[in-house]
Amino acid sequence: MGQYRAWLEAYGAAFLDAAAWTLGVAVASFVCALLWGAILFFLRLNGGAWGRRAVDAYVQLLRNTPVLLPIYLIYFGFPLVGLLWPASICGGLALVLQNGAYICEIFRGGYKAIDRVQHDAAKSLGLMPWTAFRKVTLPQLLVHSIPALGNQAVLLLKDTSLLSAITVVELTMQAKVLTERTGAAYAPFLVAAVFYLFMVWAIEFLTRLALRGVRWR
Amino acid sequence: MTPSDLWVLAQAAAISLLMALASIAFGTLLATLLTPLAFAPWRLLRAFYRLYIFVVRGTPVLLLALLVFYALASFWGRISPYTAGVVVLTFYLAALIAEVFRGGVLAIPRPLWDCCTSLGLPRLSILRRVVSPLVARYALPPYLNVCVMAVKASSVLSIISVWELTLASREIIERTLDVYRVLAVAALFYFIMCFAIDRLGRQLESRLAARGFAGERL
Amino acid sequence: MIEIRGIRKSFAGVEVLRGIDLSIGAGEIVALIGRSGCGKTTLLRCINFLEDYDAGEIKLDGELLWYRPPETGARRRYPEKALARQRQRMGIVFQQYNLFPHMTALENVCLGPRFGQKLSAEAAEVRARELLTRVGLAERLNSYPAQLSGGQQQRVAIARALAMKPQVLLLDEITSALDPELVAEVEDVIRALTQAGIAMVLVTHAMSFAREIAHRIAYLADGQIAEIGKPEEILDRPRDKGLREFLRRIR
Repeated sequence: MGQYRAWLEAYGAAFLDAAAWTLGVAVASFVCALLWGAILFFLRLNGGAWGRRAVDAYVQLLRNTPVLLPIYLIYFGFPLVGLLWPASICGGLALVLQNGAYICEIFRGGYKAIDRVQHDAAKSLGLMPWTAFRKVTLPQLLVHSIPALGNQAVLLLKDTSLLSAITVVELTMQAKVLTERTGAAYAPFLVAAVFYLFMVWAIEFLTRLALRGVRWR
Repeated sequence: MTPSDLWVLAQAAAISLLMALASIAFGTLLATLLTPLAFAPWRLLRAFYRLYIFVVRGTPVLLLALLVFYALASFWGRISPYTAGVVVLTFYLAALIAEVFRGGVLAIPRPLWDCCTSLGLPRLSILRRVVSPLVARYALPPYLNVCVMAVKASSVLSIISVWELTLASREIIERTLDVYRVLAVAALFYFIMCFAIDRLGRQLESRLAARGFAGERL
Repeated sequence: MIEIRGIRKSFAGVEVLRGIDLSIGAGEIVALIGRSGCGKTTLLRCINFLEDYDAGEIKLDGELLWYRPPETGARRRYPEKALARQRQRMGIVFQQYNLFPHMTALENVCLGPRFGQKLSAEAAEVRARELLTRVGLAERLNSYPAQLSGGQQQRVAIARALAMKPQVLLLDEITSALDPELVAEVEDVIRALTQAGIAMVLVTHAMSFAREIAHRIAYLADGQIAEIGKPEEILDRPRDKGLREFLRRIR
């Protein structure tokens, strides 16, 4: 017990720091990915046949390739064109590009979940298309998307661990460093796992809360 | 990037695919043992299932890979990264596939169960003739999604020094700085593999649909 | 008041409407009857341009709707803004009520006047309250559709359509999806409306109700109006063979 205490005192701070990085990157990337996904979704909806094809091609490309590739692309590729950004930003950008594609698909699903005749009802009230979208479609789309968005947030959180491949000191990297430094076999990984599991549980809790907050379901 | 580099990448892609397929096979086997736990009459078994799913799905694959790699190494000394990789992917995919199967069972309409019981069919027969075929058909689309995820997850193993497509790409990039071309080729290989699985799946689905049943396509 | 001339409409190569001619006077109530799939709902949806039609014209008070007056060969649609304004002169009530689930009854009824007709929030609310009271839902203003019965939802839908002060009300089998005991409350509301001087086109299977309130009944078959006339003529002394067969089947 005592040795765990000593261990905790020595490395607890390091873990908390790494956890903060993980959380920070995850939150910032998720917010940006929501924006990017929304932009893609709008492009697909209103961009005509070319908009639709372009967005679909983008989404298909990112859905069928592992997320490490965009990460390497930005991390190794940007310096070649003179952009020397910190590793966390490179990684975060890659996560945004990847998850934006998935979020676009989530919004599509939320849109399809709206009963087709809702649009008829809004039209027949003589509402302009943009007003109808703002007042009728968007609220329902967002509510239908909440569970899938929560799931995507979990996936993004887990993907932050891949940033350890490009030297970002987040939880997984921290655990690896400590394992090698202290020779503690695998205990640091277990600690990191607990951190992740807690964050995942928190995201699921928030998702449930958000759903309960919707009065009209 | 030279033609020999291209050949190297192709070989690495093959290894990625093989690892993915092996893990899918083992993972599916493990899942068939796991899914029944979700429906067991004993609360302890059901809780174990839920805990397993929560832990495996809530932890990044990379962390699981590192954990398994270092843990196995501490027990058995030097261990091949490939072994560790397949073990991790197996346990990871088993969780995903078990959930897919469980969803398939839950998707069977309630009245069907009642029909089976009122026909007085023996339980094993119900399992074989009614449940399994239906679950297979309901579960096919999400199962294929998991197969695609397996191919993508194999890329994570590059970080525990499993030599496959992503690691090979990184090595070539660090050597030649030919970032865009190498990654484009790697992306192409992954895309072909994933897309092929997807297409194969849709073909299987339409074959099944022709026999009178169609599941829900994502 | 409403002139419908030569409406043709095809879906995927199948011609559903083959030249519909119909005139509806101010405050007149016309019922459309016919077999399922004969095109009655399609015709209704063409009238307020939820479906476009391949040929023909629709005029309201002499003004051509939906398509510009043809100068050159091809006909062109009005832009969205003009279409929206034209749609505001008609109200439609659907079979499946289609209330907006994320809004209360009051908000559902306010939506059109506020954002379509640019009324102020207060004026829209006053109008909405009055209409909801008129359909008998004064105590359910702040309920969400999920908390209302089918009959109540349909009454909100009627109030929502009336909120735009339309010249004509289109009713698409509005009681077909209701449990039998809820049909009466909706029919009562429509019955009371017949005094208000709004023209109505109702697609319905409820023959007794049609007989009671309609000024004329039109029987649709093979994409055309096979027979049209007063309720007594159509229902008691049908001349068209198909109509006779149809009436015999549903009795």
